[in-house]
Amino acid sequence: MKFINITSKGIKETFRDRRGFTYLMTFPILFVVLFAFAFGNGFTPFFTRGSNPHEIAVVNHDKGETVFLDNVTQQRNFGDSFSRLLGNATYENSSTNLFHLNNVSEDKANEMLKSRSIDALIIIPENFSGAFASMINSSVRTEITSTVGAQVMENTIAGQNPTPNTLATNNPLSEVGNVTAALIIKGDTAYMDFGTTQAAITELLEHYKNNLIGEATAGASARVGVLKNPIPGDFIFAEILSISGTQSFSLFDYMVPGLIVLGILLQVSIIACSLTREVQTGTLDRLKLSKMRSFDLLLGTFISWLLITIIQVLVLIIVAIALGYKWLGGISSLWLAIVIGIIAGMASISLALLIAAFVTNERQAGSLSAMIAAPMAFLAGAFIPLPKEAIGQFNGRTYQIYDILPWTHAVSALRSVLTYGSGLDGDVIFEVRFLIILVSILFVVGVVAFSRVRLRAER
Amino acid sequence: MLKTQCLLKKYDDLIAVDNLNLEIKEGEVFGFLGPNGAGKTSAIKMMVGLLKPTSGQVLFNGKETGSAEKGIIGVCPQELVLWESLTCKENLTFMGNMYGIPRSILKEKVNTLLEALGLSDKANKEVSTLSGGMKRRLNVALSLVHDPVILFLDEPSAGLDPQSRLLLWDFIRSLRDKEGKTIVLTTHIMEEADALSDRIAIIDHGKLLLLDTPEGLKKTIGRGDIVEIQLADAMVNKRVTTLIKSLEGIEEVKELRGRVTVRALNATSKLPQMMDLIESAEGRVLDISIRGNTLEDVFIYLTGRDLRE
Repeated sequence: MKFINITSKGIKETFRDRRGFTYLMTFPILFVVLFAFAFGNGFTPFFTRGSNPHEIAVVNHDKGETVFLDNVTQQRNFGDSFSRLLGNATYENSSTNLFHLNNVSEDKANEMLKSRSIDALIIIPENFSGAFASMINSSVRTEITSTVGAQVMENTIAGQNPTPNTLATNNPLSEVGNVTAALIIKGDTAYMDFGTTQAAITELLEHYKNNLIGEATAGASARVGVLKNPIPGDFIFAEILSISGTQSFSLFDYMVPGLIVLGILLQVSIIACSLTREVQTGTLDRLKLSKMRSFDLLLGTFISWLLITIIQVLVLIIVAIALGYKWLGGISSLWLAIVIGIIAGMASISLALLIAAFVTNERQAGSLSAMIAAPMAFLAGAFIPLPKEAIGQFNGRTYQIYDILPWTHAVSALRSVLTYGSGLDGDVIFEVRFLIILVSILFVVGVVAFSRVRLRAER
Repeated sequence: MLKTQCLLKKYDDLIAVDNLNLEIKEGEVFGFLGPNGAGKTSAIKMMVGLLKPTSGQVLFNGKETGSAEKGIIGVCPQELVLWESLTCKENLTFMGNMYGIPRSILKEKVNTLLEALGLSDKANKEVSTLSGGMKRRLNVALSLVHDPVILFLDEPSAGLDPQSRLLLWDFIRSLRDKEGKTIVLTTHIMEEADALSDRIAIIDHGKLLLLDTPEGLKKTIGRGDIVEIQLADAMVNKRVTTLIKSLEGIEEVKELRGRVTVRALNATSKLPQMMDLIESAEGRVLDISIRGNTLEDVFIYLTGRDLRE
């Protein structure tokens, strides 16, 4: 059981190398802290954390319009109604408001926008209600004419007077105007919070429009005596539609899986340096003269670094949670994430073996590892999703160029598990299988290269 | 016990070891003497199986070293080959485990080695905290933890203070005398080779120049004394060298390290004549010394250059 002695030696060396161990642990943690600061909800401890409202300002220029709605001709200002809707909208299953409306002038709002004191400025145009009136009248007219047409057809087939009772109504149809209006959502398009804010506002506007149309056509259907697609209630409600459970996620929450893989990739440098040190200082020659087999050395090294990977992944997750990281699927997701992390860790160890087989000193090992690992993290989508560069299709799936990297599948699997709460099925099982296949290939290449170059007599 | 047959190692155009034929006997300390870059380390690496020869072979008890049972050879490399973040005890125990030594025997062996090399009080200290001399001794201990039959010591006392060097020499002698181990010792320190070796091979540019006992080697350049003269003006050295060569009974005169070195039988009686010649060449003596033949002189005689050059 010489590999156990090698594992024990490896762990002792790693823990006692304070500088190396500090780098190994703190560098990825530093990334987590920075990303939490930049893309999270601030540094509020997780137990006091709630979803924060987006800061916005609304400038309403709407002059209002007379519309026939609910069988009554009435003066309405849809700009005011929409503003109230924005102010009252809340996160799903939460009493926290989605937006905080700043009551300021347009000039002041523009200043606040530049200083990012608000995420977006919403400008409601003066013909907003006019455009809504046109939209409602058009929808009502379409509804009634289609209903009348249907009644004429039915009466004719039944051999009755084809004139439908709709014509008996005394209420004439409103004229359809030709008014259009654009709701302006102003902000810094490069600013992440503007993206989420404008998406939520656009979603709310769509809901508002759909509800108004539903309300108006329901009234019209009642007028012609046929209830088509009745829409309950006359109030307007809003709902943010997004992937279940992630409504309150910040960008940081989406990035943590990638950061875990980044940490695992940073290990490449430490492992490659450690293996190269063994070569450079001659201790590997000592071991080669002993009864140790290549298998003992490689397995012992593997186990020690896998244990360190587990510690690293755990520490990263704990730090992320302390900084307010939100994930789905509870503890079982975390366990599955650790297993995926371990498999990804094997890819890093294999890559380190490959690097250590060809470099001559620690400095080269460190530089080459950094040169390889940093682009790998980027290509694996650890920071941002990459554009699609398909290389082919197989079994109904399209494969991208970066699918040849094991860490790509680790990021995807971790994202599915932690962000969307997926279990070991569907896409996750596919990603994990792909990850295992690529890790196995890299492992064989790494072990063969290291064994041939380093564990045989020099030539 | 160990035999090299036409051992050759070439690196591109450089011949590091040139058709080396050696036979090392059981229970002897075999000195391997040569300047830096003479090919000693390459030869040893081939003997222990860490380096593939370009041609030729190394036989251990008639078998090629590659197929010989691992554990019969111990190597103490020239460099300090230690795990710096492990303690002395952990280093030795780890190496012992790699040789598959049973735990009970290993524990005793580790303690014995630490005691013998004066490291008992540092047993639980991390290697990185030890002095250079202590590390050097631990380096030797690591090569012995598995009780090898033949031990290769490559420049074992390089960088040691005189006290540690004497301790190490005693230890090497005891390995031969008490434990009957065969030791191959490479060094460029003449005193070390002279004091410890039963036989010495002198090697330069990868070639074996001479192989004999220390006394036998000294005899090869004849009996006599060595006179070393340092002149105030080194420009005169060449003229003085030529003049002294003409004296009767002078074996050899050479200019070495800025000094005129004269080898002669009964050198003391020739000193007045030498002084006259120096005076005639308008030379002024700064320092003069007379001593007996050493291995270094043998080396200079054979190669025409100093061991440290």
